[in-house]
Amino acid sequence: MTATHPPRRRFLRTLVAGMLALPLVLGACGGDDSGGDDGKTELSFFWWGGEARAELTAKALDLYTAKHPDVTFKKTWQANQGYFDKLATLTAGDDAPDIFQIDDNFLSEYATRNVTLDLTSYQSDGKLDTTKFPEGLWKYGVVDGKLAGLAFGENTQGLVYNKSKLEAAKQPLPKTGMSWEEHIAWAQKAGPATGLAGTQDPSADYKAFWVWLRQQGKEMYNGNQLGFTAADVQAWFELWKGARDGKATPSADVIHEGNQTDITKQLVVTNKALTSWVWANQMPELQKNTKDELGVVAYPGDASKQWPRASMYFSVFRGTEHKDIAVDVINFLANDPEAGKILGTDRGLPSNLDVRASVAASTDNASMKQTIAAIDELSKNYGPSPSVPPRGHSTVRSELIKAAEEAQYGRATPAQAAEQFFAASQAAVSR
Amino acid sequence: MRRSVVLVVLTAIVLYPLVWMLGSSLKAPQEVLNNMSVWPQEFTPGNYTDGWSHFDVVFGRFFLNSAMVAALTVVANCVSCLLAAYAFARLRFRLRGFWFAIMIGTLLLPGHVLIVPQFVMFKTFGWVGGDWPYAPLIVPQLLATEAFFVFLMVQFMRGVPRELDDAAKIDGCTAYGVFRHVILPLSRPALVSTAIFSFIWTWNDFFRQLVYLSDLEKYTAPVALTLFIDSSGQSAVGPMFAMSVLSLAPVFLFFVAFQRMLVEGINTTGLKG
Amino acid sequence: MAVTQAPSPAPPAGPAAPRRRGRPARHKSDGAAGYIFLSPWLLGFAVITAIPMLMSLYLSFTNYDVLSDWSSTEWVGLDNYRQMFTEDPSFWHAVRVTITFALIATPLKLAAALGVALLLNRSFRGDGLFRGLFYLPSLLGGSVAVAIVWKSMFNGDGSFNAFLGWFGIEGKAWVNDPDYALGTLILLAVWQFGAPMVIFLAGLKQVPQELYEAASVDGAGPVRQFFAVTLPILSPVIFFNLVLETINGFQGFTSAFVLSGGTGGPVDSTLMYTLHLYNKGFTEYQMGYASAMAWVFLLSIGLVTVLIFRTGKFWVHYSDGDD
Repeated sequence: MTATHPPRRRFLRTLVAGMLALPLVLGACGGDDSGGDDGKTELSFFWWGGEARAELTAKALDLYTAKHPDVTFKKTWQANQGYFDKLATLTAGDDAPDIFQIDDNFLSEYATRNVTLDLTSYQSDGKLDTTKFPEGLWKYGVVDGKLAGLAFGENTQGLVYNKSKLEAAKQPLPKTGMSWEEHIAWAQKAGPATGLAGTQDPSADYKAFWVWLRQQGKEMYNGNQLGFTAADVQAWFELWKGARDGKATPSADVIHEGNQTDITKQLVVTNKALTSWVWANQMPELQKNTKDELGVVAYPGDASKQWPRASMYFSVFRGTEHKDIAVDVINFLANDPEAGKILGTDRGLPSNLDVRASVAASTDNASMKQTIAAIDELSKNYGPSPSVPPRGHSTVRSELIKAAEEAQYGRATPAQAAEQFFAASQAAVSR
Repeated sequence: MRRSVVLVVLTAIVLYPLVWMLGSSLKAPQEVLNNMSVWPQEFTPGNYTDGWSHFDVVFGRFFLNSAMVAALTVVANCVSCLLAAYAFARLRFRLRGFWFAIMIGTLLLPGHVLIVPQFVMFKTFGWVGGDWPYAPLIVPQLLATEAFFVFLMVQFMRGVPRELDDAAKIDGCTAYGVFRHVILPLSRPALVSTAIFSFIWTWNDFFRQLVYLSDLEKYTAPVALTLFIDSSGQSAVGPMFAMSVLSLAPVFLFFVAFQRMLVEGINTTGLKG
Repeated sequence: MAVTQAPSPAPPAGPAAPRRRGRPARHKSDGAAGYIFLSPWLLGFAVITAIPMLMSLYLSFTNYDVLSDWSSTEWVGLDNYRQMFTEDPSFWHAVRVTITFALIATPLKLAAALGVALLLNRSFRGDGLFRGLFYLPSLLGGSVAVAIVWKSMFNGDGSFNAFLGWFGIEGKAWVNDPDYALGTLILLAVWQFGAPMVIFLAGLKQVPQELYEAASVDGAGPVRQFFAVTLPILSPVIFFNLVLETINGFQGFTSAFVLSGGTGGPVDSTLMYTLHLYNKGFTEYQMGYASAMAWVFLLSIGLVTVLIFRTGKFWVHYSDGDD
């Protein structure tokens, strides 16, 4: 800004800059600053989830305090509604929590804007131990060459199906390794036999589209660019238009319900289709919402194109005054066997494979066992992971839903919808 | 007779969704989303006890917090908006029209772009966090920032005939005297409506309370209600419905108790004209 | 209220009008008193309202993204405004959705509120209970519970279709159909007519019974009584509700947010202006752009409000005989 600006604008700018900068200046004298003379440190810790997760997390953090009596935590949790709004607002006020939970929809947004602490140096000098992690998993936290978040929990794409209904109708269960065409053909037969729609149409589901793309030798993203063309999208939309025309899927309005990510809206739970396209670690929660028994397999096609996705991460705020302690805390949560046992598979399978093995051995929750077994099975043939989605990813996701639904409702041809999605997502990632 | 038939039918239509909610609060978890009928197949009153003690802090605590914020807001709004409204409705001063237009203008800006600047500002003031994190929710109300209520009271006061002011002035009253002896006594209906509305709005406000409250013990009912459902993971739909129903009860009673004051208060005003 | 005098030719609504009429005594200024009474509001405006508003105005000319450090925010001039009008098809779509919503929902809601208020404007046993019951829906606001209830009722297998079924009509999955989803949103807004109803009820109580009696002696039926007596006296209250509900209608964020889970779907059919704004600001982190949208909103709705105030001159009757 130079002095050539009209006075009013300068006035405003000064005012705004002053307002925004003041907290930084005053920050030093804030009352909630920890690390005073008594050597005590209080770290703020923020996550989303339900009541069960809150209990586990509190317990694990208390364990840390028991081992390090000088470190206590200000724990804040809420459901995912409003979580990122609040996190963004706190960040804007330079008041972000010292440690916060984040997922791959937002990791790049935060990392590229320098909100997260780069954990690379802690990793290389062993203060943050990822040696027991699957390699693809911790790498899924690297943004622009910096380790922006510690993968906390692994999951992978899972096709969940209604086992009870299929067995009652003497229909074959879906198997890992079926091709997409075989899957659709299966749904065409199994649907009428069970009286439910065959398979949820996943054309609006970015993770299904992504797996399918990788099986075609493409990627969702190459760095900050799209890794596919409009023609790829069109082929994907046409595949599912064929399925819809062949009555392998429910009608568009029902598909729309299942296009929401809420666990309770998944068609396999609401009994409106035999399958849902979810993350494998959501199995236990899905199971709670239905009386039928569920099963889980890989998405159709070459299962080695699926990858160990970090179901969420813990990141450290770059502006924290206690970087080393904060890193030590997340290291503890990820690698300490006792903490691992407390946290279980609530955030996905434990990243540390030793911890994971001991959790698997000690749990008596049937669907948790099945999930661990399923992901372990799938993880045997994982290929290389893609990099974490770039900025704009959440817009790309919602644009895919919009375009796919245009095609599902018959308001656009697959070609038109593909064109629309491609243009919109290109704009989103290049912003 | 026809009137009461219409009334009953209308009540049935308007109440149906609420009855549905009540029914859902008594359904088993797998039922809430799949059983479309009002009646639960599996009667589950346990949702209420489960919801009440679902978190480390009992739900009553959230109601108390909400009630405290709501009560303070009510008092703050009534006092501050009444003063401003009296000035706008009755007094003459330079730039009155200008300020009135500005006040209406503040109603128009979508709130979502104000959240971040406001947070930054309140943080600067040192109001964020601490042992009593409610300051950002209440202090603005003390300063009549809720233009809705100022406008509401202006409209009510304009129903009070000028002759009363003039008579009081002839008797030697100043602007303060008129306020004290004429406007204040006649403003009961406006105050009661303001009380009803600010109570209810505070009871429902989610976003601002979400941003400023970070301690489970300090959460208010609307913030706590969202804790039941984490759409990406665990949810407790039945207890959520149960506590939603419970959260309606105090507001409903509050309203039924106060509405008579509202309606009768105005009637008195009318007669005096 | 001085209802006995014939409604004078409508004065400009609101004290904002520059022209002054009335008795000479009123020309005298009340001196400092005005500002003394106004001071809490003025302070609140200057400190709490104006600063964030000016900040948002400033931000609308920048690429502010919420998360980045302030120093990397750049002045982009009118770029956000240009983008909005020329490069964002969703913007115009949201404008259309919002206008449709406001134009249908606001009058229906006001009509429902006035209609029920007229029905309840009579003392009978349990009248307070009835008022409370009709008021209940507005208490729920945009809670999660309301969203679930509404979606379940207006789904393919929901209660509404079961009801239609009695008449042999086969319904649709209303909430999931891009052609009807906005309709269910409008219904939700109308359902929550309690707030304006309460204000109407209060206003109706101001109408003295003598006027009705006089009118019926003159041979006026209920319909003429309504137009000749009720409506003129109720006009300031109608005016107030109209202004407020119009603003609310155009802002209409909460129900669209909870019903669509924040997406504005299916296929953007419920993408209200404020929802688009929110998504720009808080999920795409284009707060500069969102601020620009907010100011365009303020100016447009400001214009609508000015128009309503202007038309108020012709139909709003105040009994204080003032400007």
